[in-house]
Amino acid sequence: MPTIIACCKWVIDEAYIRKGSSGNLDFSSVDYKISDYDRNAIEEAVRLKGSHGGTVIAMTVGTPEATKGVKDALSRGPDQACFIADAAFSNLEPSQTAAILADVIRSRFADYDLILCGEGSSDLYAQQVGARMAENLGIPCISFAQKVDLDGERVVAERRVEEGIEVVAASLPALVTVLPEINVPRIPGVKDTLMASRKPVMTIRKEDMTLPHEAFLQTLSMTAARMDRSCEKFSTDAPEITRFVDALRKKAVIP
Amino acid sequence: MPGIWIYAENREHALELLNIGRRLAVKMGTTLSALLAGNHDAAPDYIAHGADEVLLLPPLAPDQSHEAYLPVIVDAAKKADLDVFLCTATARGKEFAARIATRLETGLCSSCVALDYDENGKVLQMQRLAYGGAALQKVTCLRRPVMATIPPRASEPATAQDCRKGHVRELPAPPPSAVKVLERKVKMRETKDITEAKVVVCVGRGFEKPEDLALARQLADALGGEVGCTRPISEENHWLPEELCIGLSGVHVKPDLYLGLGVSGQIQHVTGIRNAKVIAAVNRDESAPIFGVADFGIVGDLYDAAPKLIQELKRGS
Repeated sequence: MPTIIACCKWVIDEAYIRKGSSGNLDFSSVDYKISDYDRNAIEEAVRLKGSHGGTVIAMTVGTPEATKGVKDALSRGPDQACFIADAAFSNLEPSQTAAILADVIRSRFADYDLILCGEGSSDLYAQQVGARMAENLGIPCISFAQKVDLDGERVVAERRVEEGIEVVAASLPALVTVLPEINVPRIPGVKDTLMASRKPVMTIRKEDMTLPHEAFLQTLSMTAARMDRSCEKFSTDAPEITRFVDALRKKAVIP
Repeated sequence: MPGIWIYAENREHALELLNIGRRLAVKMGTTLSALLAGNHDAAPDYIAHGADEVLLLPPLAPDQSHEAYLPVIVDAAKKADLDVFLCTATARGKEFAARIATRLETGLCSSCVALDYDENGKVLQMQRLAYGGAALQKVTCLRRPVMATIPPRASEPATAQDCRKGHVRELPAPPPSAVKVLERKVKMRETKDITEAKVVVCVGRGFEKPEDLALARQLADALGGEVGCTRPISEENHWLPEELCIGLSGVHVKPDLYLGLGVSGQIQHVTGIRNAKVIAAVNRDESAPIFGVADFGIVGDLYDAAPKLIQELKRGS
């Protein structure tokens, strides 16, 4: 019976980020969410458990506040969670996140079979953690899968590449990153949320880890992205439609 | 030999990276090498387009996955003591770059949209989008080589110079890969490539049923363009194929005109259209975020506006 680890990240919901007056990012009214693509990873892990049995572990690394995310992840079907929490884990760079996750998996969940990750996180969207983690663990990596299944001692997946699709196989343990179209993640109900609070959570602190995880990238600034557009409004009245089409013609974007 | 390396899966992407790499090589006073898998006859072409050196990757066996090149590339990169390594941000390129960066114990700037070398500080500053495209993140790398993935079509292709000279070196044959390719399905495109279209009409959630997409097609025809869509239309409704989905995790378009019909303008979608010359939109909701990023916006029902637009376009032409 396979042990499947689904990695997820508790992130700022970008829909609540406002642009400040000086081009800064205003985080004052933000809410948090499970990173969109990670919901697909969790769903796929739970789906695989449905067909093959086994155990699904949701794993996340973040600040202690991300405990809400752990509960959210558990409400989506995993059996247990592993929460790697420290106040210092607020702005980790992908190489650090990958190293920390790999470190914990190696030391605490050495008998895992499959690791699933979303194709990228909705905040940084660096799309590195899955591939880096596979390298850290020295296991096969299949990225951007639109279909995945377990077949005995191996994982078979369809991955999207430039010229089409590759059907690939790798022996377990392996890591797969999934595309959003692989499934439609469930929306947890009240019962799921109640059940989630009864599921076991292993909490790991920074001091429980053996390796230092230094950053390779340094963020110099994070500012609001500029989109300077004229924002001219029109109605659907006939003269307005004519004016709209004329405006497009003037810009020479249509014949 | 220190220097700049580029890796792209095809010629089109390679020429874009050669253009960026050449400029950087001049500024940094170093050399530019291109990795080349597949057709080795392209080596002189790469040299003409700016490479000082072409590193040939021997062909793969049918079941060998691209990743088989990883140890070969990493080994050569370590020997070369590289300054910069750029890859195209395709699916393979992104995985490749992340894995190479891990093995070289360095950082990687993913989907880098701008790259500036500061000659005084000798630092390479890179920019990328974050938070679905709402933020611009500036980063530097604290290790060598500095690595980045560059989205396709982010740069113009390099132009050829006839008299350029360079040398060609073959890298060792790749070992078997841990991932085996069982089957390769070359995608037969059901649709035109919207990344090349001059006009893109985008179908959003404002459409009520799949039959109504005919309206978007008619408008696209009247504008001489193609139809694309937002993520819910392809992923949840399955009304249009995945390759037409525009946005951060879908395709990025840069047409002369983007016209969103019933598109609300979520940041992830907007990120996929930010390089359009003109952004126009039709939406019933005056406060829809799309109007904040559009040059021209029609506040109204798309079912009312689209037929009128088609008529107006026919009248005028």
